[in-house]
Amino acid sequence: MTGGAGGRGSGAGGDDETIVRTTGVDSTHPTPDPRPPTPKEHSFAIAVENVSKNYRLWGRRSQFATLKSALLKRDLKLDPDASVPALKHVSFAIDRGEAFGIIGRNGSGKSTLLKIISGILKPSSGRVTVVGRVAALIELGAGFHPEITGRENIYINGIMLGLTRREIDRRFDSIVEFSGIGPFIDQPVKTYSSGMYVRLGFAVAVHVDPDILLIDEVLSVGDEEFSQKCVAKIQEMKYRGVTLIFVTHQLDQVRTLCDRALWLDKGQPHAIGDPVRVVDQYLQEVAGNRMAGSEHRIGMDLPAPEAEPESANAAEQAPMRDPLEEERWGSGEVILKSVSLVDGKGRELVALGAGTAVSIEIDVEVRVPQDDFVFGIGIYHADGNCVYGTNTDLEGLVSKRLDRDGRVRFVMRSLDLVAGSYRVDAAVHMRNGRAFDYRRGCVRFVVGSRVHDVGVYRPQHEWLFDGGIAFDAVDTLKRDVPAPIAEYIRESESTPPPSKPNRRK
Amino acid sequence: MNELTSLYRHRQLIAALTARDLKARYRGSLLGFFWSLANPLLLLGVYTLVFTVFFPQHVVKGPYPLFLFAGILPWTFFSAAVLESTTSISSNAGLIKKVMFPAEALPLVVVSSHLVHFALAMPILLIATTAFAVAGKITMHATIALVPVLMILETLFVAGVAMTVASASVLFRDLRDIITNLMQLGFFVTPIIYLLDNITSRPLRALLRLNPMTPFIVSYQDILFFGHLPGISDSLLMVAYALASMALGFTVFERLRDVLAEAI
Repeated sequence: MTGGAGGRGSGAGGDDETIVRTTGVDSTHPTPDPRPPTPKEHSFAIAVENVSKNYRLWGRRSQFATLKSALLKRDLKLDPDASVPALKHVSFAIDRGEAFGIIGRNGSGKSTLLKIISGILKPSSGRVTVVGRVAALIELGAGFHPEITGRENIYINGIMLGLTRREIDRRFDSIVEFSGIGPFIDQPVKTYSSGMYVRLGFAVAVHVDPDILLIDEVLSVGDEEFSQKCVAKIQEMKYRGVTLIFVTHQLDQVRTLCDRALWLDKGQPHAIGDPVRVVDQYLQEVAGNRMAGSEHRIGMDLPAPEAEPESANAAEQAPMRDPLEEERWGSGEVILKSVSLVDGKGRELVALGAGTAVSIEIDVEVRVPQDDFVFGIGIYHADGNCVYGTNTDLEGLVSKRLDRDGRVRFVMRSLDLVAGSYRVDAAVHMRNGRAFDYRRGCVRFVVGSRVHDVGVYRPQHEWLFDGGIAFDAVDTLKRDVPAPIAEYIRESESTPPPSKPNRRK
Repeated sequence: MNELTSLYRHRQLIAALTARDLKARYRGSLLGFFWSLANPLLLLGVYTLVFTVFFPQHVVKGPYPLFLFAGILPWTFFSAAVLESTTSISSNAGLIKKVMFPAEALPLVVVSSHLVHFALAMPILLIATTAFAVAGKITMHATIALVPVLMILETLFVAGVAMTVASASVLFRDLRDIITNLMQLGFFVTPIIYLLDNITSRPLRALLRLNPMTPFIVSYQDILFFGHLPGISDSLLMVAYALASMALGFTVFERLRDVLAEAI
């Protein structure tokens, strides 16, 4: 396997100035939507404007005509019959520091899009603007020469990716360490196992310090340990503000790593937005196709705030989505009519004290009886991190029947969270992940606390001191906590834990 | 001039890839770089044998092998570099399709690694010349000092041709076979094994003059063997060919660059 990454347009001297690369030709047909105004400060990292790509079908016989046309018209277009559209009018923008996933079936144009962004391919029409140094992990180790040593290949690969010799000197030890190649570094690359090959390729590519990293299906290579190392490295890069673009079939990675996702279908954007939602829509479509339409589907007729795929528009997509915004999607055979957070007495809560006993109550409406169903709950911190998630399937509850309306209660004897705002996702879906109804952020609540401890989870605890250690206690409730929240806390502290609940099966 | 700045930017890449090519080519082989000399030496031996033993000819005054050597080395540089550049892009398809890689570096790497071979062979020619001079058969000429100038001009010419054929042969594969055959013909329509002035037919001489490699080879023979400066017209032609070839190479490459990744 070959592989690698690259950096045309980077190279020497690219460190200080901002690199802006615009590729593309003016559309042969008028642009349907007006071009978004180019921001002066380049708040975006990548802007893809109405990009289309047609591949030519190659005939041996027309070679000379092809050469002539390419020379005279700078284009491969001969006649439209001989071309295959790979991308059709794709527009979107990616913010600086965003992690963006691209999913879709094989042949939907994902890799073509990535190659156009990287500058390897030129769009047939439309425009791509890229701000910053790009590294593309399209195939790891592309450009390694088998006959020369790993050491020599690191230098050559690094230079190919736009580093100078001196920059590689500085990174060399760290590259070797990351790759885990060890003493093999001075052996010809042809003696490497394919795993070592890929590891070295990845190690070089991530040490380029790109502003934008394009990743095409490469996280799935290598053993489990190295995969995790890659993911950790990529998360670290995301932390440092590197813009990431993934093309992958590993939908879990999109859900966990990405801020937004784009679903490409037959070269066109089908949905763009929240990764969990887009992945789910995609799964539904795939599952729906598999069922060959025999099942009558209710479709997207949910009373949801937003349930249809938006058209991907670069200008409108520019602001980042509020991670707490409520979203809802699903096929609608089963509906979560209401979701609420209640205390032991059945009162709905929006603010509570740490350690309170609470339940999440879900009213379920069954429109089409199901025998394959899973109820799930997720609790998220305001910054979007998942605090806890579980579902009935994970906990060994096997679905038996769901044939009329009912209520699901998720009872927590003590919600041991530190102060902060949280949101709840509730869902009912099939075991394969296809959602009947997924409600993201359907409940929001604030946890108040008499102490300003940090983190997410507060274990039940107390401080004990022996010997010559002594403290005086003050009332932290009075000192640190605003009055309305203090009231909730005082109240919740006086509420006894609820009796053991009945599980509904 | 965009192209030239990009060349400057890619100088490290070209240097690194050239070093890689040379290392990879000779790693594990016993005689190493001397293999690159094998072909010119073989040609040298064969034609010396033909013209001094089989069909004794009085081609030039002085040792014929030295005359031959002066023409064969620059010709081998030209023909080997151009021929290899026809496959330089398609044999690195992985780089073009998978990496943001400056494609023009590939033919230039081929040219520079053949230039290294050429430059390493030059001392052998100089040693041979010195040996003949010590034996009293010839006198050493100061014009030998002009060799680097000729090499620079020839390299520019070769680089332009290499870029042209490298990019064009991606779209037009037959070009490689055409060039292979043209090179065989070219060896004989360039005054390498014979002296241009010995051709008596005026139209034929005019025809041979049209060959862009002719002024280069004749000039090498002038400074290395005959010990006089290249003629004015040859000098002007060399400069003109070098510039025209670079211009053509960059133009064609620039026009084809965008379709290379797709066409490979």
